[in-house]
Amino acid sequence: MISIRGLYKRYHKHHGGDWVLKDVNLDIPEGVSVGLIGRNGAGKSTLLRLIGGMDTADKGEIIRDCSVSWPIGLTGGFQGSMTGRQNVKFVARIHGGETHLAEILHKVESFAEIGKAFDEPVKTYSSGMRARLAFGLSLAFDFDVYLSDEATSVGDQVFRQKATKAFKDKVGKASLIIVSHGEGILKQLCQAGILIDKGNVTWFDDINDALDEYHAKNSPPKPPPDKGK
Amino acid sequence: MLSPRTSWQVTKAVWYALFMREALSRTTGDRFAWFWMLVEPVAMVVVMVYLRGVIAGGRHIAGAEFIPWMLIGLMGFYLFRENLQRSLGAMQGYKGLFAYRQVKSIDPVFVRCFMEGMLKTFILVLFIFAGVLLDIDLIADDPLFALFCWFSLWCLGVGAALTFSAVSELVPEAGKIVRITSMPLLIISGVIFPLNYLPYWIQEYLLLNPIVHGLELLRMAFFENYRHVAGIDMGYLWFWNLGLIAFGLMLHIRFEPRLKAQ
Repeated sequence: MISIRGLYKRYHKHHGGDWVLKDVNLDIPEGVSVGLIGRNGAGKSTLLRLIGGMDTADKGEIIRDCSVSWPIGLTGGFQGSMTGRQNVKFVARIHGGETHLAEILHKVESFAEIGKAFDEPVKTYSSGMRARLAFGLSLAFDFDVYLSDEATSVGDQVFRQKATKAFKDKVGKASLIIVSHGEGILKQLCQAGILIDKGNVTWFDDINDALDEYHAKNSPPKPPPDKGK
Repeated sequence: MLSPRTSWQVTKAVWYALFMREALSRTTGDRFAWFWMLVEPVAMVVVMVYLRGVIAGGRHIAGAEFIPWMLIGLMGFYLFRENLQRSLGAMQGYKGLFAYRQVKSIDPVFVRCFMEGMLKTFILVLFIFAGVLLDIDLIADDPLFALFCWFSLWCLGVGAALTFSAVSELVPEAGKIVRITSMPLLIISGVIFPLNYLPYWIQEYLLLNPIVHGLELLRMAFFENYRHVAGIDMGYLWFWNLGLIAFGLMLHIRFEPRLKAQ
């Protein structure tokens, strides 16, 4: 269960900043996968980063009494001059995986399927290969809650299918919190939805209701009737 | 579910992981990494000895051999300077890693300082060993006190590193200023020529600099008959050490979100 209490967040710009998130109060129950919906810049990724503990709120608190992953598909933490294997070892050590390092390495290597490149420096990887490595790395740990920011939208078709399948396999054992604009993915993987609109955050027990509400608010204005000339 | 760990377990795991990573990238990042670690101080000593011979004339140091005197001073100064300079870039270099919430902003600073301390100590020992083989007297006359002085200088570096790694991230101009003070500091810290040659009223001001205290104490430990600058005080050095470490830690606690922000 993740509880969010009175959360406020804004980014400090040159002339102050408006609240991105304003007085958010949420309870995300255990075992329920949630989709975050909203327009570009609404604060979806911000909320996800706050839940993941990568960013700090201006006010309020987030109580996590379960293990929460870093956002899946995060490639920023890779050191370019080190090999894929060395990078995986590093992340495994941070998360206290020193005792079963070999097992984690094996899992990542077999999921990423990047062959010999696993022992080449990460700076020689293509963006797709990086994404595969990052995705495999997240799945090698048994977190209770996985965070994903458009993670399934990278890579080629085969990899996307594999990633979606891997997510589905996790359902039941772990839950997901997903930011995505792909409605298909959201409907497939999530039960509940959170709609973010102008700093207001609304919880929906059913993802379909959340999507309907989102469409109702953001449907493009009807074109003015053609008066003809 | 991953079993919950105590804060200390997390910190230990992070330090170990960062240390392994730092050690790898420092020693294998560049083909000549090992070579430069040894050659840089040697080259500096050769250049400085030559400079002293040409410009300042005379190589007399009261109570100590000239080359060992300068080598000890340079190594001590480098121990401080490398701690500080390596850590200035630490916040930027580790931006990507702060995405893992386990990594705190002080972790890279601690790990880099520890790494520098180990490397510089190893190199100093190597120099002492080479000195013994070449029949240059580099063995400390008071080894325990020498170790403590070496440690004190390292602590001064850690304090400065903690403070300035935070300050230079909050005010980027500060980092540039710290970088350009490196050479002037080398001169006013009495690394190249003895401060004893200067008039007393200048010495009084130079003694405000804690590095002078650290270096002179280190030399006293190495050369028992060394005639040090008057007014050297271990207490003054530690006053700076503790002050800088406390201030640095406070900055890192207070501004952690801003230091870790992407």
